[in-house]
Amino acid sequence: MSPRWRKLLGDVRAARGRLMMMVLALAAGIFGVGTILSAYGILTREISKNYLGTNPATAQFELNKIDNALLQKVREHPDIFAAETGDTVLARVQIRDDEWLPLLLFVIPDFNTMQINTFQSEAGAFPPPDGSLLLEHEALSLIKAKVGDLLTVQTPNGTKQSVSITGTVHDPGLAPAWQEQTVYAYTTPSTLAQLGEDGDLDHLKIILKDSTAIETTISNFAGWLKQQGYEVGEIRIPPLGKHPHQTQMTAILVMLLMFAFMALVLSAVLTATTMSALLAQQVRQIGVMKTIGARTSQITNVYLLLVVLMGVAAIVIGLPLSIFVGRNLSNLIAQLLNFTLYSSSIPSWVFVVQISAGLLLPVLAALVPILAATRITVQQAISDFGVNRAGLDAGAITILLGKLRGLDRTLVLALRNTFRRKGRLLMTLTLLAVAGALFITSLNVKSAWEQSLATASAARHYDAEIRLSYPQSEEKVTAIIEAVPGVVRVESWNRTPAAVNRPDGLNIVRTYPDGGHGSFSLRSAPPDSKLVDITLLAGRWLTASDSNAVVLNHTAKAFFPNVQVGDDVVLTLAQTPVTFKVVGIIKELLTPASAYVLPKTYDNVLRQSGEADAVRIVLKENDNASIATITRKIEKALGQANIRVSINISENLLDNAVSGHVYILIFTLIAMSVLMAVVGALGLVSAMGTSVLERTREFGIMRTIGGRSRTILRNVISEGVFIGLLSFFIAVVLSLPLSTLVGNLIGNLAFRSPLSLVVSPLALVLWLGLILLGSVAASAYPAWTASRLTIRETLAYA
Amino acid sequence: MIELRNVSKSFETPAGHFTALANINLKVKPGEFLAVVGKSGSGKSTLLNMLVGIDHPSAGEVSVAGTSVHMLSQDQLAAWRGQSIGVVFQFFQLLPTLTVAENIMLPMDFCNIYRPRERKPRALELLAQLGIAEQADKLPADLSGGQQQRAAIARALANDPPILVADEPTGNLDSKTSHEVMQFFADLAKAGKTVVMVTHERDLSRYFSRTIKLADGAVVSEDKVSEDEVSEDEVSNTTLAKPLLEVA
Repeated sequence: MSPRWRKLLGDVRAARGRLMMMVLALAAGIFGVGTILSAYGILTREISKNYLGTNPATAQFELNKIDNALLQKVREHPDIFAAETGDTVLARVQIRDDEWLPLLLFVIPDFNTMQINTFQSEAGAFPPPDGSLLLEHEALSLIKAKVGDLLTVQTPNGTKQSVSITGTVHDPGLAPAWQEQTVYAYTTPSTLAQLGEDGDLDHLKIILKDSTAIETTISNFAGWLKQQGYEVGEIRIPPLGKHPHQTQMTAILVMLLMFAFMALVLSAVLTATTMSALLAQQVRQIGVMKTIGARTSQITNVYLLLVVLMGVAAIVIGLPLSIFVGRNLSNLIAQLLNFTLYSSSIPSWVFVVQISAGLLLPVLAALVPILAATRITVQQAISDFGVNRAGLDAGAITILLGKLRGLDRTLVLALRNTFRRKGRLLMTLTLLAVAGALFITSLNVKSAWEQSLATASAARHYDAEIRLSYPQSEEKVTAIIEAVPGVVRVESWNRTPAAVNRPDGLNIVRTYPDGGHGSFSLRSAPPDSKLVDITLLAGRWLTASDSNAVVLNHTAKAFFPNVQVGDDVVLTLAQTPVTFKVVGIIKELLTPASAYVLPKTYDNVLRQSGEADAVRIVLKENDNASIATITRKIEKALGQANIRVSINISENLLDNAVSGHVYILIFTLIAMSVLMAVVGALGLVSAMGTSVLERTREFGIMRTIGGRSRTILRNVISEGVFIGLLSFFIAVVLSLPLSTLVGNLIGNLAFRSPLSLVVSPLALVLWLGLILLGSVAASAYPAWTASRLTIRETLAYA
Repeated sequence: MIELRNVSKSFETPAGHFTALANINLKVKPGEFLAVVGKSGSGKSTLLNMLVGIDHPSAGEVSVAGTSVHMLSQDQLAAWRGQSIGVVFQFFQLLPTLTVAENIMLPMDFCNIYRPRERKPRALELLAQLGIAEQADKLPADLSGGQQQRAAIARALANDPPILVADEPTGNLDSKTSHEVMQFFADLAKAGKTVVMVTHERDLSRYFSRTIKLADGAVVSEDKVSEDEVSEDEVSNTTLAKPLLEVA
């Protein structure tokens, strides 16, 4: 090996501690980027594969009837690739004595030949024998049941009946049951008939041959269906080829990737700082090498190779770890989003990006100090006496520190030393502050999320909403419920499906087969109701004198991007277009898209009078147990009057459904902030180590004039703690816009509304504690080493 | 071999305009062993820096072995120095992380004059000539001052340059070692190498073929060094303020 490379190895040995920090920081960055990129590569591929594997319907039509002749004609239609019938029925399932959960029944005419919206058998019978159900596998754990158990089920027209679970299936086209707080089950038309429904299948699922211009083709096809004499109701067109949670997953992974890249960039900058400190000590060696014939490029190459070697070492550490964690993270997210990883292979581009970033970023960052050091002339190099005036000018901070009374001189020295190498200080502060800002942001967002849930919950002054299977006399329903002991107030908040009116008169909604994720309802709202707090975004709430006025919640407003208060909107209600004037827009969290009108307007447009299909109830006691007990009594009373309850929505159900979507994200954010904190801590250790090394002679002088070991120890630790404290304040400031940004992203994904900025006191206290502890730990070792050096050793240090 | 024509060097300092060298004319022939003496601030170091291309003149020309040194870029200078001039420092300046042999191979590595397989034997041969062959695989820190200076001389000779420039090479050596080192330089001069040395040691004058004395940037006398002058230098050189002299 040539002497110049031997010199390189010698330098590595001599500065192994600092170089190891550099490698670990880079490895942490590469690990972060690699983990998220691996997960991104695996998950985006597999989620598509899973979803497309179900052969999702391009559209699902609700018709008044479907017979075999129609099905045959549809299959022969030139635009149609495949067509099947089916049905979905929203029933309910009893999970405990008085507790019910929504049960979405998918009715399949022939399990063995189904081609559209398919799913796979996992356990038990397939197809399900008559009188039994197959459950989506995630639903089992939600209701704590197992194959073979009997479930008590009630359909809108049926009585409570026991049905057995004869098997499980995996339906990757659906979100997990626990997230939606809905039990998904699959059954046959005959079982549905046994449960009390007519068993007719009125859903037509189709796959188009050509998926360009879907809406136009669907519109034409709907026209064709009408020509055949069929009534076309709601048409569901899910986003093409996209899993219900694909957009959210991708957005979140991209956000995490940005943070991971930030960690890598910061670790690369740490590399530059470490190299800068290393080169500052080698200026004379560079001068000597140039004196004996070395060209600038030869010396530059030696140091660049050092950085490349560090990058390679970091890749060797970070890459395999990232593969392992990336695969596990993918598994976890796949489980959370209810899809199967058919392959955990990581796309090769992930490795290319990782390796390129791991090598190029540190080289690019280190190029500046390396070129600055190696371009130095021999004269400058041999004139370097190791004491740089830069940063030692009598600046404002230095003067201020000098004027502080009561401060120990050694403490002043430590504080001044902090500002001695401004570039390194900036770098260390950036590392720690970004890590801190991310940590605080994670907990701020968690608090904002919880506050949003609490605010949304506090805005609802009712304890339960009971939806009936069919509209009933409002007077009768109210009287029955009010007669139940513990009920304080009952209000009708009727509800009917709505759609944005289209020129072709079709009722097209952008929902998935589960009917969630994009539903839209028209609701009647008593104008003087005290059951909800209205958060107005624009305009006003309904008044008793309104006629065709409508108030849109912010989710509904998203369907009409250009509509303002005062404009008209046309909704399709029961196949009929109805025009309303928008008088207000409200913010309403945890509520699907809703348009609110007065009860009289509701009755007018739906041509009904004095009926109720949904009521909101205020109870005297509003703990979970009381709510469960009283709603059971209400259901019993309604049942005695032959009034069927479709669904009972309590606060708990809402919270569980929404929180399930978000906690994984907050957890990952915290994990990412820990990664940044590790890079930050390594930066601080490296900076303190370099600082101590540079001040070795200074410590010798301090000891010569009477300074004790503990003085040096205190001096160094004070500097570390001071840097930590400074970074804390910067982190707090940085966390504010960052929390707003992340809150906007998460809020918009979950609620279509940004989360408010909440500063979590816990986050501040936790990070302050961590940073102080970390600062002491990071400076303690170099301080201890420095305090143990003899005067002879320190003064001999060149 | 070495020719300085009307060379001047001046600096702007906070204290005002400072002339380090004033209209120097100097010729050094092949095989000469030239000593440069003078008080601190007399311009010795600046003169040496001009010879090795570490510094450029404000006016005038520096020609070494037919090369106009003042016309070369930093990289050209580095390559030229590696092949044409061997530099010996007062404080040896061996790279601490390389063994003695590797330190000597380093200039060969940079300049690529000798083939890789020839480098180690040549380094060992040079070390043997200087009497420290057994130290070849040790790190500089494990050697005495005299041994380190011999290693530094071996490094200066690595690429077999025609010119050697030495800056107080015996300043950190004991008397016996100093004489051994000086004898080695004298032998090199006799063998045809041109040696230019800054020194202040009074009892070494017998080794030089010529001595020039500088004062206020100008050559004030030439030939033998008187005892008084050497004594002055000895005092002045204890205040270390000159780049090449004071590398530590």
